[in-house]
Amino acid sequence: MLAQQLANGLAIGSVYVIFALGYTLIFSVLGIINFAHGAIFTLGAYFTFMLMGQQFGFNGLLAQTKLPFGLPFWVAMFVSAILSGLVGVVLERIIFRPLRARKADPLLTLVSSLGLAVAMVNIIQYLVGAETYSYPSGVALPGAPAAVNFGSPEAPIIIRTSQIIIIVVSFIILIALTLFINNTKTGRALRAVAEDATTSSLMGVNTDRLIRLTFFLSGFVGGIAGTLVGLNVGITGPYLGIAFGLKGLAVIVLGGLGSVPGAVVGGLVIGLAEALVPSSLVSYRDAVAFAILFIVLLIRPQGLLGRRLIQKV
Amino acid sequence: MKISLRKVLLSAAALSLATVLGLQTTVAQDVTPIDIGVAVAQTSNVALLGQEQVIGAQLAEQFFNDRGGVNGRPIRIILQDTAGDEAGAINAFQTLISANVVGIVGPTLSQQAFSADPLAEQAGVPVLAPSNTARGIPQIGEFIARVSAPVAVVAPNAVDAALEIDPAITTVGVFYAQNDAFATSETGTFQETVTARGLTLLPVQTFQTTDTDFSAQITNILPSNPQLVIVSGLAADGGNLIKQLRELGYQGLIIGGNGLNTANVFPVCQALCDGIIIAQAYSYNADTEINRAFVEAYTALQSKNPPQFSAQAFTGVQVFVEALIRLDNVIPLENLDLAQQRALLNNFILTGLYDTPLGTISFTREGEIIQSTYYVAQIDMADDGQSGAFTFIR
Repeated sequence: MLAQQLANGLAIGSVYVIFALGYTLIFSVLGIINFAHGAIFTLGAYFTFMLMGQQFGFNGLLAQTKLPFGLPFWVAMFVSAILSGLVGVVLERIIFRPLRARKADPLLTLVSSLGLAVAMVNIIQYLVGAETYSYPSGVALPGAPAAVNFGSPEAPIIIRTSQIIIIVVSFIILIALTLFINNTKTGRALRAVAEDATTSSLMGVNTDRLIRLTFFLSGFVGGIAGTLVGLNVGITGPYLGIAFGLKGLAVIVLGGLGSVPGAVVGGLVIGLAEALVPSSLVSYRDAVAFAILFIVLLIRPQGLLGRRLIQKV
Repeated sequence: MKISLRKVLLSAAALSLATVLGLQTTVAQDVTPIDIGVAVAQTSNVALLGQEQVIGAQLAEQFFNDRGGVNGRPIRIILQDTAGDEAGAINAFQTLISANVVGIVGPTLSQQAFSADPLAEQAGVPVLAPSNTARGIPQIGEFIARVSAPVAVVAPNAVDAALEIDPAITTVGVFYAQNDAFATSETGTFQETVTARGLTLLPVQTFQTTDTDFSAQITNILPSNPQLVIVSGLAADGGNLIKQLRELGYQGLIIGGNGLNTANVFPVCQALCDGIIIAQAYSYNADTEINRAFVEAYTALQSKNPPQFSAQAFTGVQVFVEALIRLDNVIPLENLDLAQQRALLNNFILTGLYDTPLGTISFTREGEIIQSTYYVAQIDMADDGQSGAFTFIR
């Protein structure tokens, strides 16, 4: 029983991890929290739906429309991730760059990103309505069983295949991101910009290009995350990403702001905590997640894996 | 004598304006439509249920206007979107009441009704609920009635149908959405029925209508090997729950509550929707004249058989029309002001006998529907999981 609950926790947690990975990228390089990540996440799910040639429902400006072609799922997801990345770059250009040029308060950037998120979600609703959409079943791994039992028939530890996909992909992204940031020249340049943007540009690093790259990567990962969550639980409406956005904030703060492994640890901890909440108290699940965040921050303000900021006088 | 061109033109204009206005008022008196408000969910996930109600109401408008409306006066449906929450329903009701409708058909959810109906009660506007099945709806006020049979009467039929299919059922798992008034009411009835039939009830699992992941609840009861699972929720969450239930390996029978009683649940669980048993307050097979006409009109428009939610919305409008006709026959509507129309209409609604697609219905003094026939249907999905139908089994 406990093993099953741990498996559930892993599955729920990896959804948060895959969401938080893109979220934390921007914070680690720019020091800003981008609430619009939730909207890009949602866009990714809808883009994949559209690129697969699926038809929209009965509400919205694009009601009953569909593309004349349909791509296979993984191709559609890849293209959708690229589109989401591009959306991220566009957002950087029209919202974040002017604010940065004006040396705006980080709080102002945060609030702007929140407003942006709500605006984008409402645009989605206006275009395609707010009903649930689902990808055709069995589209990711045709022929694969719907769930895998890692235990025995008497003591089952069952995880659904779509959740296994999320767990595997999130770890692939984590490893890819870590290798990229630690071992490549661009990755090193990113870390330099994260450390001190002005000094980096003095050393000849093209900070603007790197910031654009960060937003693209964040959007790319967000798009993949949105598609996989849509595969797991359906696209339950444009507000899909907003709900994750708030939880995602808790995840990255818990794990340590700016730390990529921290995002993973934070996501898994919260996922596990939620899975262990007895089902009669299911409406208090969110409370559990935020209560843990609160307690951890009291004891260890930098989060689980964050670095303690020492104020040098 | 010089005739001023300007004066001539001005007088001509004034004369034509007067004529047109005069003509309009004469014409208007004969065909001012009678406004009936329809406040259902056209957006949000609740639109999966509300969309069918919109179709039913619009069909009714066409249907009864073709048959002469209210003694020659046409009716006009004024649609207002309630979206999925209480605030939306309150706004929709408020707008309709101020738009001087003679009555309101709506809202979609019982959860919304408990918040919005009191406004209509206070304003003295009759409300006919087309799909509120929770306990306590007609008791909200004198002006509140419903054409949707309560869960207490409809739900047990599904359990009996399941027992007919599989008499060996002993253990039952129950899931319900604890943040929804209708689901909470329906699960109460389901649980009572299960216990009354002597079956073992596993620990009841709860969820929220906004939830998307149900692994925890499902894996809580799967090891106990239930042969029957009953889900009380709305279309999106219920559909997702059933999809995940099947994916995690459950192979027994599933009963869906009234919140899943729509073809709009097919895209959510697709091929895995197959076999869900849902009790029905309406059957397109019922062989009465009004139902045959309704089914014919519906299939001509939608190319498929009418679902329960459309039939109930249609019936809601029908009751208003027939009560208005009876009222008009006693006191012509032109002689009544709006408040009087609404108050008297309410009395005429409650004292009538109606021949509707749902069967012959009438109301108790409190506004509860008196209906005699109920059915049970099972979802039959095509192999590709893209299309399906409700097949009646009882």
